[in-house]
Amino acid sequence: MGRTQTVLFRVMVTFAVVMLSAPTLVVLGASVTSGNIIQFPPDGFSLRWYNAIVGEQTLREAFIRSVQVAIICVLVSLPAGTLAGIALARYRIRGEKLIQVYLLLPFTIPLIGSGIGLMLAFGQAGVLGSLWPIGIATATINLPFMIWAVSSSAASLDPDLELAAMSCGAGPVQTFFSVTLPAVTPGVITGSLLMFILSLNEFLVSLLLVDARIVTLPVQIYNSIRSIITPDLAAVSVVFIAVALSAIIVLDRLVGLEVFLKSK
Amino acid sequence: MDALEGVFAVAWPKGGGKLTPYLLLVPAISVVGLLVIGLVYIGDSSLRTLDRTTFLFSENYSLENYRRALSEGFTYTIIWRSLFGAFVVTIITLILAFPYAYMMVRTRSALVRKALLIALFLPFFIGQVVRAYGWLIILGNQGIINDALGLIGIEPLRLLFNYPAVIFGLVQYMLPFAVLMLAPALTAIPEEMEAAAGSLGADWFQTLLHVVLPMAKPGLIGSGIVVLTLTLTDFAMPAILGGGTQDFIANAIYDQFFRTSDQGFGSALTIILVATGSLVVGIALATFGAGTLALGKSENEVR
Amino acid sequence: MTTTKNVNRRQILKASAALGAVSMGGLAAPTILRAQEPPKPNEIIIRAWGGPWVAALEAGVSNPFTERTGIRVIHDLTEDNEIQPRVWAAVAQGRTPPIHINWDTTVNATKSALRGVCEDLSDLPNIAGTLDLAKPVGVEGYPIVNTYGYVYVLAYRPEAFPDGPPTSYHDLLDPRFRGRIAFYNDGIGFHFPAQIAGGGTLEGIPDNMGPCWEFVERIKEQEPLLGEDPDFVNWFQNGEIDAACTISTNALGARRNGIDVAWTVPEEGAKFDTDGLWIPRGHSEGDLYWSREYINFALTPEAQQVWLDGLGLPGVVPGLTPPEGLAGDPSYPTEPEDFERLIRISGQIQVEHESEWFSRFKQIMQG
Repeated sequence: MGRTQTVLFRVMVTFAVVMLSAPTLVVLGASVTSGNIIQFPPDGFSLRWYNAIVGEQTLREAFIRSVQVAIICVLVSLPAGTLAGIALARYRIRGEKLIQVYLLLPFTIPLIGSGIGLMLAFGQAGVLGSLWPIGIATATINLPFMIWAVSSSAASLDPDLELAAMSCGAGPVQTFFSVTLPAVTPGVITGSLLMFILSLNEFLVSLLLVDARIVTLPVQIYNSIRSIITPDLAAVSVVFIAVALSAIIVLDRLVGLEVFLKSK
Repeated sequence: MDALEGVFAVAWPKGGGKLTPYLLLVPAISVVGLLVIGLVYIGDSSLRTLDRTTFLFSENYSLENYRRALSEGFTYTIIWRSLFGAFVVTIITLILAFPYAYMMVRTRSALVRKALLIALFLPFFIGQVVRAYGWLIILGNQGIINDALGLIGIEPLRLLFNYPAVIFGLVQYMLPFAVLMLAPALTAIPEEMEAAAGSLGADWFQTLLHVVLPMAKPGLIGSGIVVLTLTLTDFAMPAILGGGTQDFIANAIYDQFFRTSDQGFGSALTIILVATGSLVVGIALATFGAGTLALGKSENEVR
Repeated sequence: MTTTKNVNRRQILKASAALGAVSMGGLAAPTILRAQEPPKPNEIIIRAWGGPWVAALEAGVSNPFTERTGIRVIHDLTEDNEIQPRVWAAVAQGRTPPIHINWDTTVNATKSALRGVCEDLSDLPNIAGTLDLAKPVGVEGYPIVNTYGYVYVLAYRPEAFPDGPPTSYHDLLDPRFRGRIAFYNDGIGFHFPAQIAGGGTLEGIPDNMGPCWEFVERIKEQEPLLGEDPDFVNWFQNGEIDAACTISTNALGARRNGIDVAWTVPEEGAKFDTDGLWIPRGHSEGDLYWSREYINFALTPEAQQVWLDGLGLPGVVPGLTPPEGLAGDPSYPTEPEDFERLIRISGQIQVEHESEWFSRFKQIMQG
């Protein structure tokens, strides 16, 4: 890297990091205010808003439900997205562009439209009121992320390896599990983590599919914000971030964060 | 494993190889099919008009909602605002995402890499709405920026509730997606290529322009399409950072579904948006190729 | 206490009807008496606005209701606008609706009533003790019961008006308020005073609203902010705006958070409207019965007193004590002369024309 490039890139990346982190830091700061209003810098320091949410069983239950929804989302999107990603990256497909436009529907349909449509479809099927339709819905609206994460790592797979496995007498199933799948693992992990996070935080489509008995945390936060913005919401967000951060750290210890970047 | 292969051989007789990619696509196509079922419902309501004395929809079909949408100047205002916004956000996001992804992939320091990754993932967890409120606090009239400007004697600037504020909020929201889609493509570029270009006398900018960017093209297109479509259909940022005067199409759809109870008209706008978005994606794919998805395929055609 | 009495009366009525069945079925009367009170659901779900709104409802209605009946009350904080398509879809698809009771604006509720998704509440015993305000205008009977009224006041920061409170919406056209005034993003609450401010008459609503749109055009030159309930509180708190046309509760909310905000009814008048409670069709007999009991209880003076103290709004039963500082306040009308400066337009005209007004307002503002 040349000097100019290094400097330029560092400036741009610093700007990006500040921009990405600023709202989070503000929310963190606002959550420890001793006043009644969300503001930054906070008005004094106190943990009263954390105290206020500690005893909230409804918040805890909502969080657990969100995790369940996110797990269902990954269970649905992982196989569907992985297979599609491999297919799109490894094979010549007739009408491929059309299929891609189709597979991008989750992004080209506005979330409100997806939400209304899924509500009517699930409602007609009589399955609203459970968590699994919400998990499927969040898998559906984010599926392109899974497909693209996998296809970008599948594309770098050397096809000779697959051929070699076949010529050594491995059947298609064995080749798939011992050559193709390991090669796309980084993409699968990146995609799954992204799906999990996006599902955990989804509120707009979920809003139309939950009811008060099965409300998820992001929906609850969204609804509360619609009425009044108080520092306890900042505190909830911070706890949420803390949980997420610990999950990321655990993940780093287990598999290493580099897995997102390096295809082995 | 043998048993599995046996089952496979029976279920997938010789010559079925041609069908393989299509069979692999079936689960994804079915999952997205759920949205298509939803679209059928939406298409159906888009053809029915609302009777405001009973708040029921007409039994018969008509194109009235589309006629209404396409005859109002307002529709074009917001479509143009959304499309233009989507393009601007895509370009700015890619310009910021590229060095971010590049540094994340190339840095020798594991610590820097991890910090960059964490900075990328954390914003997801405060959600779009809380995040937008964070910006209100930072950029508001009595916010941090204006406080700082006040110290050097500058009158408070109106940084919020205008088009640039919406664009800024959207760029911040889209950046992590763009970086995550771009990083794998950059990983695939061998570092030696750049070194080679350098030793042949190319300066860094030439190397970037003629070596790195072309090789990163599939990743750039992939993340570009993601950012473009997500921005085009976004709702929260224009609603919160636009101060109510910078609506995108999704906001107009929201108003019809939720505020004026006109699901028919809202559905027509939805269909118009989906058509517009799909058309833009189609044109982009036709112009630039299939992005990340096609990476390496043309050279390494299998079977 | 009224509730208990009413429950008893209903029980007796039902019981006497049941006695006929008893004589045929030959069962012992006491068992029937208990069995005739429909089975209690474990919980009922009330849609409510969050923050101070739900806190007030909890204190005044939900908690006492739970104490009396043992039925848990869950509050669904989905926006009224956002629950509507869900309720309508549930009724249309023959499903159990996601909520038992909707706490809704009367205008929104009227749409549901016209569509036929509301249970009839005409025979709730406590309606007898309410003011005319409780009766929705423009619909048959009581598909909704109004539970209080509210005023779209002109709220302002006294600091920004050193020469005294604004007396007219024309005062907001002063260049120093450019970018510092706010309205609802669909203009709700402002259309009618704007009609007067533009030189029109209330009789011109809905057919001759030219003056309203002319005045809105002039207001647009001032680059107003447009938002929803929480935005107003937020903007006042963060010093973003000097004046806003908003529901008095939002101004009160900012004031209770220590912000110096006052409000007035300008010479053009102010829109007065109501909120109410209603029950969507499709619930089982027991759920319906206990939901009706909840609404019936919400109409008792004791429930109204506590609930509306929290909201700072006038109720629909006579004899309530106004919350501290609100007696005689323009946002708390109780006497006929208080209503003289308030504009009340029938729910039916509003639901039929609201969407044109909203889109017209938006088109001007977004243009």
